Amino acid sequence: MKEARETAAAARFVPGQPDMWAFVLFEALVFTAYFTVYVVCRTRNLELFLQSQAHLDLRVGVFHTLVLLASSWSVARCVQAARERSYEAALRHAYLTVLFGSVFLVSKVLEWAAKLRQGFGFTTDEFFSFYYFLTAIHFLHLLIGFVALGIAIHQLRSPLRRSQETVETCATYWHTIDFLWVLIFALLYVMR
Amino acid sequence: MNDAKSKRELWIGWWTLVVFYNLYGLLFFVVTRTQPPPSPSAEPAAIVQWFADRHDGLIYGYAVVFIVGGATAIMNATLAWTMRRMSVSRAFAYSYLVIYALATLPGMLLMGIACTVGAMRPDRDPALIAWLYDFAFLSFEGTMGVFLIGSLVWMAAVLLDKNGVFPRWFGYLNLCNALTEVVVAPAWIFQGGVFAWDGAIAWWVNMGVFVTYTAVFLTLIRNLILREDFGTGPLPELPTR
Amino acid sequence: MRLFAVWLALSAITLTQLGVGSADGGDVLVPNAAITVGAIGIALVKVRIILREFMEVRHAPVLLGRLTDLWVVLAGVSLLGCYFAGMA
Repeated sequence: MKEARETAAAARFVPGQPDMWAFVLFEALVFTAYFTVYVVCRTRNLELFLQSQAHLDLRVGVFHTLVLLASSWSVARCVQAARERSYEAALRHAYLTVLFGSVFLVSKVLEWAAKLRQGFGFTTDEFFSFYYFLTAIHFLHLLIGFVALGIAIHQLRSPLRRSQETVETCATYWHTIDFLWVLIFALLYVMR
Repeated sequence: MNDAKSKRELWIGWWTLVVFYNLYGLLFFVVTRTQPPPSPSAEPAAIVQWFADRHDGLIYGYAVVFIVGGATAIMNATLAWTMRRMSVSRAFAYSYLVIYALATLPGMLLMGIACTVGAMRPDRDPALIAWLYDFAFLSFEGTMGVFLIGSLVWMAAVLLDKNGVFPRWFGYLNLCNALTEVVVAPAWIFQGGVFAWDGAIAWWVNMGVFVTYTAVFLTLIRNLILREDFGTGPLPELPTR
Repeated sequence: MRLFAVWLALSAITLTQLGVGSADGGDVLVPNAAITVGAIGIALVKVRIILREFMEVRHAPVLLGRLTDLWVVLAGVSLLGCYFAGMA
């Protein structure tokens, strides 16, 4: 038993570049600052926030969360497959991640369009300012995520460029988009 | 080798950066007290009072800023040199230099000019003084876009560089800095709240990231100078004391 | 297989939050501390699962695990702390 534990301990590794983890933690802190400001503003103007929040569709929020969770699954599978040198499978899962990401992208734009048509813009009220700000800055991170996926796919397609570390680094970035959304969903759509 | 002698210029560049940023902080935050910024929703009467309260600080503080403003040339040259030492195209260094040379205008000078003009004749029409106030703060806080592109250029250079001039995480930190510049953009739209030019998000969080970023690159440039071997290939590690 | 199970669990947890909307009883939303604490708490649990399972922090050096946990705790304290302070 002791040997197995020792082997397991010896096998500990940092997924992808440690540098990317530094970025992830730093961005998480910055977003936490934004989220905290949101909560503070919310408690100062609860009536307004609740009223405006009622105009968001919880089901859409849930759908977005499910889509991103699925994209995290597929990119994690991609990393696993690449590690086992099953590059065909890895590529398939990478493309699947792109698909899930795209579904989120389109759906988010449609949600914004719907809200705008209903007359709720960035300057409508404080709640909607936060809604557009948080979802937009997240969206921007998502766009960068597609670049990361592109880099990973580029790596996986050619035997000459197959850097496991690069693929893992890109995946680490992608997961960040997912877990940041999980928090945004809770704050904008669920909390009362 | 004449390493110690050759590095003297680099150290002059680095010390200029350190002294300037500290001086800048002192001048903007303590002498002129224009940072943290006042409210965009202040009435003209309050704005006139704001200028009156800071009259001497504004005049003398910005006088110093205008005199030492040329030091930014040395600073930007030092930053561009870090990119020249990289394995990437010289185009990165040149574009960075152009961007940051232009950035001195909105990042320092326009605000200084508007504030000193405003302070110079306190009996001017309050509406005009209010105009100068808006101009000062919008030009300073709202033009972050310039720094956005600059950060992205530096980021790209760091990530593509094969000489190990800066660690990869600094490339990513540039991305963080760039993204916070985007966050300042709404300052043009809001006269109050967290997205206004004095807002919790547009100013405070942004400033937290910027100060961290500045402290980091000052340290990294120092390390770079210590490691510099005047070659064109990968740099050696930091020498152990 | 483990990854799929993790995804299933996370999705199931998310679906339970659909119930929150109807619990309010229609269009009018009312303040509810329990829902808020639940929402933020569940979100942080999900985030930690994503970190440990999808992002493989489970297999990473202990330091990374401690740093990520530290952030999760910090986020929780900050968000819930400010919520309760503001509601008081």
